[in-house]
Amino acid sequence: MIRLRDITYHYPRATTPALDKLSLEVPAGQLCAVIGANGSGKSTLCYALAGFVPHFYRGQLSGHIEVAGIDVAQSSLAEIAGTVGLVFSNPFNQITGARFTVHDEIAFGMENMGVPPDEMRARIDEVLRFAGLTDLADRSPFALSGGQQQRLAIVSVLVMRPKVIILDEPTSQLDPVGSKEVFAVLRDLAAAGESTIILAEHKLEWVAVFADRVLVLQDGRLVADGPPREILTGDNLHDWGLEPTRYTQVARSALNAGRRDNGEALPATLEAAVEYFR
Amino acid sequence: MSTPFSLFIPRDSGMHRLHPLTKLTLVGFCLVGGLFFPGIWLTYIAFLVIILPLAAWGRILRPFLSAVIKTTLPFAVSLVLVQGLFWPGGTPVLELGPLSFKEEGLIFAARGTGRILMIVSSFLLLTFTTRADELMLTLSQKGVPDNIAYIMLTTLQIVPRFQSKANTILDAQRSRGLETEGNLLTRARALLPLIQPLLLGSIVDIEERAIALEVRAFGRRGSKTTLLVLHDTTWQRVMRWLLVLATLAVLAWRIYLWLEPRIQG
Amino acid sequence: MTIAVEEVEFTYPGGANALRGVSLRIGSGEAVAIIGENGAGKTTLVKHLNGLLKPDKGAVVIGGNGNDAPWNTRDHSVAQLAARVGFVFQNPDDQILERTVRAEVAFGPRNLGMPEAEINAAVQSSLEQVGLTDAADNHPYDLLAPQRKLITLASVLAMRTPIVIFDEPTMGQDARSVARIGEIVKDLKSAGRTVLIITHDIDFCADHFERIVVMADGRVLADGAAEQVLTRTELLATTNVEPPQLVRLAQALGLPHAPLTIDGLVVTLLQ
Repeated sequence: MIRLRDITYHYPRATTPALDKLSLEVPAGQLCAVIGANGSGKSTLCYALAGFVPHFYRGQLSGHIEVAGIDVAQSSLAEIAGTVGLVFSNPFNQITGARFTVHDEIAFGMENMGVPPDEMRARIDEVLRFAGLTDLADRSPFALSGGQQQRLAIVSVLVMRPKVIILDEPTSQLDPVGSKEVFAVLRDLAAAGESTIILAEHKLEWVAVFADRVLVLQDGRLVADGPPREILTGDNLHDWGLEPTRYTQVARSALNAGRRDNGEALPATLEAAVEYFR
Repeated sequence: MSTPFSLFIPRDSGMHRLHPLTKLTLVGFCLVGGLFFPGIWLTYIAFLVIILPLAAWGRILRPFLSAVIKTTLPFAVSLVLVQGLFWPGGTPVLELGPLSFKEEGLIFAARGTGRILMIVSSFLLLTFTTRADELMLTLSQKGVPDNIAYIMLTTLQIVPRFQSKANTILDAQRSRGLETEGNLLTRARALLPLIQPLLLGSIVDIEERAIALEVRAFGRRGSKTTLLVLHDTTWQRVMRWLLVLATLAVLAWRIYLWLEPRIQG
Repeated sequence: MTIAVEEVEFTYPGGANALRGVSLRIGSGEAVAIIGENGAGKTTLVKHLNGLLKPDKGAVVIGGNGNDAPWNTRDHSVAQLAARVGFVFQNPDDQILERTVRAEVAFGPRNLGMPEAEINAAVQSSLEQVGLTDAADNHPYDLLAPQRKLITLASVLAMRTPIVIFDEPTMGQDARSVARIGEIVKDLKSAGRTVLIITHDIDFCADHFERIVVMADGRVLADGAAEQVLTRTELLATTNVEPPQLVRLAQALGLPHAPLTIDGLVVTLLQ
């Protein structure tokens, strides 16, 4: 579903590359988390997969990017829209301003895709329920709180049913419960085979629970790629500017304090930690 | 539907239920009439006999009149003063102490105010009674490119957005010791720290919004659907044709008046 | 410096986000975290502390024990209160106005009338604290967004206020920056400053803040020692807050008590 070959990208007038000979293949239906320190290239990768690098941000891009069968660098943004969806961190800037109720705002993307009105209404109702915005359907999008706007931004893209959804820290304004709900839905979408999801995140605790696969970026390079538990309990996390979850830290500390090492893998999630310590 | 970012006033009225194209045609007629009606008083008559009753029908009479006065009065006052007092070689017709108002100037002012009244009030009538998204759809159906319609639609949103951003920025700078309360000089100086964050922040916002629009397929060329349903009726179609004819008649009359002395002489 | 919030009630002009009678006393040098769901009134409360908002009913008094005169926020402008209360806002792009990082950090101290030599010292040490010494002469917008956040942090640190308030400082920051911010909180505490934080990062709370205030619906739900408050899972759930990872683990394992530190938990586990 996603194929990157030797991607190197420089922002305009930049001497160091933001992405450095990156190669990657993601099959359909996978929820792939992208983690890394600030400046490691997570956001740039997200924009590259959605075509905004280089169509919007210019700069020099070399290599081949194929997303859902589309050669992203060669196609226009209009051709990419609808098949590839992007949700970024600032929810206010994702309100189009072209519609005056939450309901119509969600419809906007589908209208541009030519989806029939009955189908639109059905999808909007479904998505309003998921986002907990049903009571706010007639409100102006500008009258929502930051967290509500963020949920609106996410579902406005989800409702277009893109084959690939890219999310760059989409839960920054949400409280922990809200974040968990978003990750759960993304996981369900991927598992149902409906979408392939790339999620750039800092919240490693939830990455450990919901992601199928974790990619680690450092200085624009892909330095690790594997299942969450393996990556997040590895020894290199600190070198990459990351910190393991407390569950992993407690397990390590316990081993250092004299707990017997049964050779089991260290836990990264609550569930695994409970298993580990029973 | 009414938000801090739009002029639309929601009401349950016949005027609101009219197809936007009908209202647009009326604005077109008022534009041409306002510019080309002969004489002084036709514009005022049109305002009283056509526009005002429509505003009443739309149940927006009070906010409408308030907006009309707020926009037209400054023009009226300055026209009366500038043209009335300073018309070269004019016939004094009204003396108020040292001020002498000339007849020709007052006539000019009256004609000018009438023009502005008719044109501006018709625009206000349109925006107060028409949902912006329905207006945008009508324009799209008539061939106006999507991005132009979008710009027309969202330009009004810029002002409240700027204000809100400016307030946030001001709060942040006050919290860093910038004094904003006090004499005029202090308050004026307090505006300088607003400029860079306001501009740079707005540029970032505009960029990100453009990206969001592309993600939502706004730039797509194919056929688009809409949840909006616009109702048109036969009598509205008839009215629109009558308005178009009336507009052409005004233009024809104007051309005739212009040509007449040339034909004769 | 102390903070006294007495029976404060507040409603925004639109009617939303009220404070419905909040009372709070914070002693000099205390480190307090304010947690709760979005819309609970946390930011509203905290904006009363530096005068950005004035209470409809009740009063907020800054200082008053020891050498400093009590200041009722109603009697002082925000700029005046800035000498006592430093506020680190969420969005750095809402305040960056200078063309170099150094000048940006110096803006606050200069407004407070610090002498030039002191300003330079303050700017230097704040930049060191946030790790931006090498970027001092860059344009702030040459730095990435998370680093611009560190600039705003430095800008407030340089003002050397006795009270410092952080609004979601770790949002969008990577582990290294979070650790650095944690160090800064520690330094402020050792210097005897009063530190307040609003945050969703409950683990960061547990690491650095001894007292937790839980808010919901414009009211204070709980106010007490971190060990007590952060283990009240049901109460926290009513305001969409989950306990720290260590507490959840201890509770899931049925341990007799839930420590807030890794070492504490390891000790309990190995018993």
